[in-house]
Amino acid sequence: MGKVFHLIKKELRQVLRDRNMLRVIFIVPMVQLLVLGYAITTDIKNLNILICDFDGSEISRDLIDRFSHTEYFILKNYPCSPGKIESHLFRGEAILALVIPQHFGRDLETLKQPDIQILLDGQNSNTSAVALGYCNRILLQFMQDTLEKKFARAPHLARSIHFIEPVTRAWYNPELKSVYYMIPGIISIILTIITMLLTSLAIVKEREIGTLEQLMVTPISSGQVIAGKTIPFAFLGFIEMSVAMTFGVLWFKIPITGSLPVLALLAATFILTTLGLGIFISTLVNTQQQALFMSWSFLVTFILLSGFFYPIENMPEWVQYITLINPLRYFIEILRELFLKGAGLNILWKELVALLSIGTFIFTMATLRFHKRTS
Amino acid sequence: MINSRILPLVRKEFIHIRRDPRSLIILFLMPLLMMFIFGYAINMDLKHIRIAICDLNKTPASRDLIETLRMSPYFNIVTYYNSPSKTESLFKNRLVRAAIIIPSSFDKTHVQSRFASIGVITDGTDANSATLVQNYLYGLFMEKSLSSATNGTPVSVKSRILYNPDMTSSHFIVPGLVALLLIMIGALLTSATITREKETGTMEQILVSPIRPYEVIVGKAIPYLVLSFSIAIFILFFGHIWFKVPMLGAWGYLLIFCIFYVFTALAIGLLISTVVNTQQVAMMMSLVMTMLPSVMLSGFIFPVASMPKPLQVVSQIIPATHFLKIIRGIMLKGNGPMEIWPSVAAMSAVGLFFILLAVKRFKLKLK
Repeated sequence: MGKVFHLIKKELRQVLRDRNMLRVIFIVPMVQLLVLGYAITTDIKNLNILICDFDGSEISRDLIDRFSHTEYFILKNYPCSPGKIESHLFRGEAILALVIPQHFGRDLETLKQPDIQILLDGQNSNTSAVALGYCNRILLQFMQDTLEKKFARAPHLARSIHFIEPVTRAWYNPELKSVYYMIPGIISIILTIITMLLTSLAIVKEREIGTLEQLMVTPISSGQVIAGKTIPFAFLGFIEMSVAMTFGVLWFKIPITGSLPVLALLAATFILTTLGLGIFISTLVNTQQQALFMSWSFLVTFILLSGFFYPIENMPEWVQYITLINPLRYFIEILRELFLKGAGLNILWKELVALLSIGTFIFTMATLRFHKRTS
Repeated sequence: MINSRILPLVRKEFIHIRRDPRSLIILFLMPLLMMFIFGYAINMDLKHIRIAICDLNKTPASRDLIETLRMSPYFNIVTYYNSPSKTESLFKNRLVRAAIIIPSSFDKTHVQSRFASIGVITDGTDANSATLVQNYLYGLFMEKSLSSATNGTPVSVKSRILYNPDMTSSHFIVPGLVALLLIMIGALLTSATITREKETGTMEQILVSPIRPYEVIVGKAIPYLVLSFSIAIFILFFGHIWFKVPMLGAWGYLLIFCIFYVFTALAIGLLISTVVNTQQVAMMMSLVMTMLPSVMLSGFIFPVASMPKPLQVVSQIIPATHFLKIIRGIMLKGNGPMEIWPSVAAMSAVGLFFILLAVKRFKLKLK
C-alpha cells in the first residue's frame, strides 16, 4: 500500500507542477461550461428572412408584421423582383424567402385561396426544418385569425370550425432551459477526458521515455503500477466534477434534487469504465500521439452515440444496440435524471448494473493485457 | 524560400511520419469513423416520440383526436391511462417523453365554445426534445383545426427547398467535418512535433546549427501541410462518392481555400508550441482550442445567428466559421468567388493574424 501511495504522490506531483496542465484541467472546463451554457441553445432564432410583398395591401402588411414581431426571424429588405429572389438565397443573405403574390389581400377576401410561396435554404437540414416549422406556425395563426374575423361578420359559418389548443407545460425544467440539459453532458465529457485520456497518456509517456521498464524491474507489481496510474486521475476527476457541479449550481442555478452519495457511487462506477479504457488504450499504442488519437476516437464516438445532442431513439435500430455498450450513454442519463428528477437507485439501478458490468469487463481485460505487455 | 537547409528538415519530418504507421492509419480512419456515425446514426428529426394519453372524456370527439395522433409519424402512443395522478410515475420511469391529457369536458367545449384546450405535459429533462415535441403538437392541432373549416384553408402555402432538397443531414455535415478535422489535425500535429523535439532535447541541437528560425518553421510546416491536405482530399472524395455530397462549384477554388485554411491550422499549432513544453499539454491544448470552438461556435451544427451577441463576435475570430461558409457555399450551392468573397477575406484576415502572431512568438522564444 505504501508503494502505491508513493506512486500516486509522484503522479499527482507530475501533473500538478505543470502550470499549463493545471490551466487545461481546471480553467478550460469552466470556460467550456460558461460558453456552452450560453452558446448551445437549441432554440433557433434571428434567422434572416426575405419577404417579397407583391401585394402591398393592409392584409399583406399585417402578415409581414407577424414575422417581424417574433424573435425567430430578422426581416431583410432586399429589393425583390420576380426572378431575383433566389439569388439572395444563393449569396447566403437570407435562408428563407416568403413570396406574397399580387392581389393577395383581395383573393383572401373573396375566398380564392391565394398561394404563398416559401423558398428555403435547405443546407442545414435541422435549422431549415425548425425554421419552416416556425414559418408555418405563423401562417397558421394568421389563417386562424383571418377565419375569426370572417366569423365575426358571418356567424353562421362559425359553427363549422373548432379549434383545439394545446396547453403545454414542461415538468422538471419549466422554462426548458438548454443549460439544464447541457451541463450533465459537459460534466461527463470532462470526466471522461480526465480519466481516460490522462491515464493512457501517463502510462504511454513512461513507456516512451523508458521509465516504465525501470518501474517494472523494481519490486512493484503491475497491479500496483496500475493503481498508481489510475487513482490520481480518478481523484482529479472527482475534484473536477465537484468544481463543475458547484459552478453549475451557483452560476446556472441548475437544481440538484437527487442524493449526492448516490451520485458519487454512480460516478465511481462510471470512472471504472473510463480508467479501464485508458489502460486498454495504453496497451494498444506506442506513443503519446497515438494514445491521444485513440482516446479521441473513442471520445467522439461515445459523445455522438450517447444521446447528448441527438436522442438515441432516433438512431437506426442497429446503432441503438451499439449504444448499449457506451458508458457515456448511461452516465449522461444518470446525471440528467438525478439532477432534475431526483431519481434514486430504485430507478437508476439498471444503469448501475450496466456500468458495473462494462467497467468490470474492460478493467479486467485491460489489466490482463497490460500485464502481458509489460512482462 | 526552399533552400538546401530546409529540404533535409522536410525529409526528416517525413521519415518521422512514415515510421509511425499507426498514427497515420488512425489519422485517416478517424475521419471515416466520424463520417459514418454522422452519416448513418445522426438524425435530428424526432420521430416515433413515445407519448402517453390520458383520455378523461372518452367520446367520439376525443377518440377522433387520439386517432389523429396515432396516424402521425411523429408519435408513438405507448400507453393509455385513466388517472392524471399517474403521470408522474410515467416520467419517473422514463416511459414517455410527453403525456397528453384530454379533459372530461373536451367534447362539450369543443362543440359549444369552438375553443377546446387539452393538456400537454413534456419531460423537460431533455429540453431540446421537449421543445420539438411541443412544436410538433402545436402544428398538428393547428392543422387539424383548420382542416375542419369549410372552403378549406384560407391560404395555400407551397414551400420549396433549395440546395439540399431532401434535407439530408450528411450533405451538411460532411463539409463541416472537413473544416473541423483539418483545423484539429493541423494544429495537433504541428504542436506535437515541435514539443516532441523540445521534450527530447533535439530542438536545442537544431537551433545551435546554422539553420534559421524561419527555416525550422517552414521545414516543420511543409510535411504537415501535405499530410493535412491529403486528409482533406480523402474526406472530400469519400464524402462525395459514398454519401453523394454534391459538388456544384469548382474543385479548384475549394482546394485553394483549403490550403489557406490548413496554413491557419498550422499557425495555431505553432502558437501552442510556443506556450507549452510537453507533448501531453500541447495535445490537450490543441484539442481544447480547436475542437470545442469549431464544433460549438462556428455554425458546424448550431447556427451562429441564434447565439448571444458576444459569442457571435467570438465566432468571427474562429477560422472554421468562415471556412464553413466557403466550403458549404461551394459544394452545396455552387458559389464562386463572386458570392463568397466576404468569407474568404475574413478567413484570410484571421489566418494572417494567427500566422504573424505565431511566427513572431516563435522567433522571440528562440532568442
